[in-house]
Amino acid sequence: MKLQEFIVRRLILLIPVIWGVSVFTFAIAQVIPADPAAALCGEKCGVMGSNGLTAYESNVIRLGLDKPIVEQYWIYVTNLLQGDWGESVTFHRPVIEKLRDAAPITLEMSFLSLAMGFPMGISLGILSAVWQDKLFDQVSRFVAIAFVSLPIFWLAMMFQYIFGTQVGICDPITQALPLIPDTVGGCFPIYGRHDPTYTFPDTGTGFHLIDSWIVEEPTKYNPQTNQYEVSMSHWDMFADTFKHLFLPCFTLAVASTGGLLRYMRASLLEVLNEDYVRTARAKGISERRVIMVHAVRNALVPIVTILGFSIGGAIGGAVLTETIFAFPGMGKTAVDAIVYLDFAMIMGVTLVTAIIFLLSNLLVDLSYAIVDPRVRLE
Amino acid sequence: MNSFLINFILYFLVLTLSIFCLGLLYDRKNGRTWNDGSEDRKEGLNRLIQSWSQRLQDIRKSWKIFRRSILALVGLFLIIAVSTISIFADDIAVEHPYRNLQDTEDLWWIDNEPKRLEPFSEGCDWHEQSIDLFKIKNKGYPRYVTAVSDPVLTKNGSLSPNNLEIITLVSIEDDLGYELNNSILIVHNETTFFVTDDALNVSGSKIWVMYEFNNEGMHHSWLPDGYDVCIMGTTNSGQDLFSKILYGSRISLKIGITVAFLTVALGTVIGSISGYYGGVIDELIMRLTDVFFAVPGLILAMAFVAALQNTTSMSLPMSAISFLLLLFICMSFRNIIDEMYSGEKPSTYLDIRNEENLSLFGKFIKKLGISFGLKSKTHFLSKIINSNYLYYQRVIRFLSNYSTSITIIIFFTILGTYWGGIWPQNNSNNIDEVGLDTQLTRALVLVSMSVLFILVTIFDKVYTNGIKKEVIFQRMSASVNFTNPFRFLAFRTIMIFISVILLIFVSKTSESDFSVIRDFDRLWKIQAALILTGWPGYARLIRGQVLYIREMTFVEAAKSVGAPDGRIMFRHILPSAWAPLLVAFTLDIGGTILSASGLSFIGLGAEPGTAEWGILVADGRKFFPNTGWWLVTFPGLAILVTTLGFNLLGDGLRDIVDPKNKR
Repeated sequence: MKLQEFIVRRLILLIPVIWGVSVFTFAIAQVIPADPAAALCGEKCGVMGSNGLTAYESNVIRLGLDKPIVEQYWIYVTNLLQGDWGESVTFHRPVIEKLRDAAPITLEMSFLSLAMGFPMGISLGILSAVWQDKLFDQVSRFVAIAFVSLPIFWLAMMFQYIFGTQVGICDPITQALPLIPDTVGGCFPIYGRHDPTYTFPDTGTGFHLIDSWIVEEPTKYNPQTNQYEVSMSHWDMFADTFKHLFLPCFTLAVASTGGLLRYMRASLLEVLNEDYVRTARAKGISERRVIMVHAVRNALVPIVTILGFSIGGAIGGAVLTETIFAFPGMGKTAVDAIVYLDFAMIMGVTLVTAIIFLLSNLLVDLSYAIVDPRVRLE
Repeated sequence: MNSFLINFILYFLVLTLSIFCLGLLYDRKNGRTWNDGSEDRKEGLNRLIQSWSQRLQDIRKSWKIFRRSILALVGLFLIIAVSTISIFADDIAVEHPYRNLQDTEDLWWIDNEPKRLEPFSEGCDWHEQSIDLFKIKNKGYPRYVTAVSDPVLTKNGSLSPNNLEIITLVSIEDDLGYELNNSILIVHNETTFFVTDDALNVSGSKIWVMYEFNNEGMHHSWLPDGYDVCIMGTTNSGQDLFSKILYGSRISLKIGITVAFLTVALGTVIGSISGYYGGVIDELIMRLTDVFFAVPGLILAMAFVAALQNTTSMSLPMSAISFLLLLFICMSFRNIIDEMYSGEKPSTYLDIRNEENLSLFGKFIKKLGISFGLKSKTHFLSKIINSNYLYYQRVIRFLSNYSTSITIIIFFTILGTYWGGIWPQNNSNNIDEVGLDTQLTRALVLVSMSVLFILVTIFDKVYTNGIKKEVIFQRMSASVNFTNPFRFLAFRTIMIFISVILLIFVSKTSESDFSVIRDFDRLWKIQAALILTGWPGYARLIRGQVLYIREMTFVEAAKSVGAPDGRIMFRHILPSAWAPLLVAFTLDIGGTILSASGLSFIGLGAEPGTAEWGILVADGRKFFPNTGWWLVTFPGLAILVTTLGFNLLGDGLRDIVDPKNKR
């Protein structure tokens, strides 16, 4: 099978799944005990409009709630395709706009956490496979299981404690503003996306690590003179963004390291038993070269698949880390939507996370197909 | 113990004994004595012993492998420790949750003492008590006030305070929280205060007195001297964190084990159906799991929690539950008759290509096909059928074998919807008040229904499958050989008994719904959400196993003998696929505890005020980095330790299960 054909086939296979997710979210929304028409008008539901209907009744007609359920689903899908994802009651804005703002935040976090977690997990996995059954192996296996068992929200708060109160060189300007009420200001940012002393211009892509090089520089507030006067460079913005991203990403990375370590260890152990490794050793190549060149590269191939699942895991984990680190990403949005039973938002968030997950899996599978041509033959 | 359970066991024993006695009478009448069955008995006992000794040997072998891994042993130790703690929490804990009106065991009363004490701090044995001045002044209550603790749960389940021994008076505050002079109360003796006139002149109706008390009464031998209470500090509302964490282990273990168990059950059934039947069913189920996998687990669980928001109890209509039980009894009888059929023909299941062997319904279908012109080979339908001949054969076989049962099911589902009329309606909520006549009618209805079911089953076998009546009765009496009681230990017989007893219970209740879960509280909501989220993983796991095992020769052998699909699935394939299931189950308990506490942490889980670890962390978060590090650290550590235990154990089990380690 050619690569193009493979891609097309995979894309076609995606359609029923996305359709299934849409049915599923719609079904969930039907069961949720919230009245979207009443939620939209709030206290003004009884107010009579110019058309002779109350605000509530006109909302019912506008949202199509008086129609049979199949027709409602049809309206929902056509609206989805036209880009009308409904109105969020919690955020008082269209769902799609909110999601457009929230998605890059979570994606940025997930990718960065993978970029941190992968090297950690893989290098530890290699070491523990090389020193199989030695002390290092035992310890690292224990650590891997311990990392998997860590409650992510607790870990995040422990990091907040360690980094926010114990470590770091204090910037007097940051310290002047305690970020958590009832505390002394920390040294390392443990809260929020940015320093609250300046506003990050939202004219860019939404990925602030990239945006910090694109958008124009803002000025920063100086509490000593009570003026916006400290000028910022692109580098300052990048460093600030990265510093704020570091803790949540590191938390997620630690959580994903355990699984990666295990998989890498198992995969490498399998490869080390292969004939070609034995051949390489017989040829007299140094052990270091055998492992790094012959074994690891082959052992990495199956690990690629886990990357796709890791993205899903990172988005799921983001629900908790975003709540703790106050990032207005998809996870926080989902929590808010569900706590306030925001009908349209729940459907939107579920659908978007599903699409992100499926697309990232698709990309991973494609890269897998490129790396390992055998996959395409299936 | 719960009265329902006691009743249940009693019924079970009575039923078993009476049936056994009846059977003995029957045997005697037929000239078969107790001694005639001695060989049979010996055989039965031997088989039982053999199977158990085999099991013991397997366990011993597994333990040998398990023992090699230190980590797995540590995991086992952790789990045993946590479970012990959860069982003996009542005895170990210093403070106890007050059972309130909702009877939620682990819900804590919010105390009015807003002090957070550090672990091992001195103030732990301070107690605040209110003295009602109004009652002393106006109602003539005595001026001597006894020092008592807040009400605690006593052994017999009531709430009553303990007497405390006063050491020193720390402070006195009035109702508005202003400090008062300590001299207005006099410590009369070790257990009482004397309220002076100065105290009576204080404005407001109450004063709050804080004093240090002797902790001897609450002393626990395992605690270090001098620190009898709050080795982990107190929570924001002044409760002992350690006790809360102890009680939290109950909830976490309960959630973890329930969810993992039910998820495994659901996933196994769906996965084995998908793997065994393949084709369209497989495709559909797998696409469904794709949908579930596409949404990250925690978000999915949150969505389910939201969707379950309005569910307050889970109940099935009485007609449905009685119907299911009756159906089960009927099916079991059908199987018993089937088993006996092997004497005359080599296979229970007939070759349906031979028209004589078709049941009435099967013949009807075939005739229907012919009348539609399927006989001519050029017809497009017959082409389709010929090209899918095997599939067609399977459908016909299914229909011909189950035709009557299917008819019964359809008939009684229709009937079941009108069953409300048969049940005498009783509006009183009290179950005990159901009159004898209504109970009797219900019992009669149930008995007649069961008899009807069994008769119809026999009818089906006699008139559609062509088994002789004598054969059926002979085999039936042989299968219930009362001179060999070991036979009754068979799973199916026990299940029939259980369903009969449940039927009796169902006939007793006056409600029109049978509540499966009476109080579908927030805890159940997260459990349900986690089950609904978790099954696809198991379904895939089991499907893979089934696909692999299905091709093995022993399955083929079972098929060629003519074993039914259900039997092959549950008796032949699943027992060979349990190994990875067990590992996944153990690992899943840990994962479930994590997700449940995560859900509680964001406020979607257990009731606020419950001693649940996630909620404790969430409560402590407001004070976290600087003014109460212990509020977050210890509950989190508890989660970590428990999860770690299960994960380590699961890892050890994986080693056992790994064929490389089999010796």
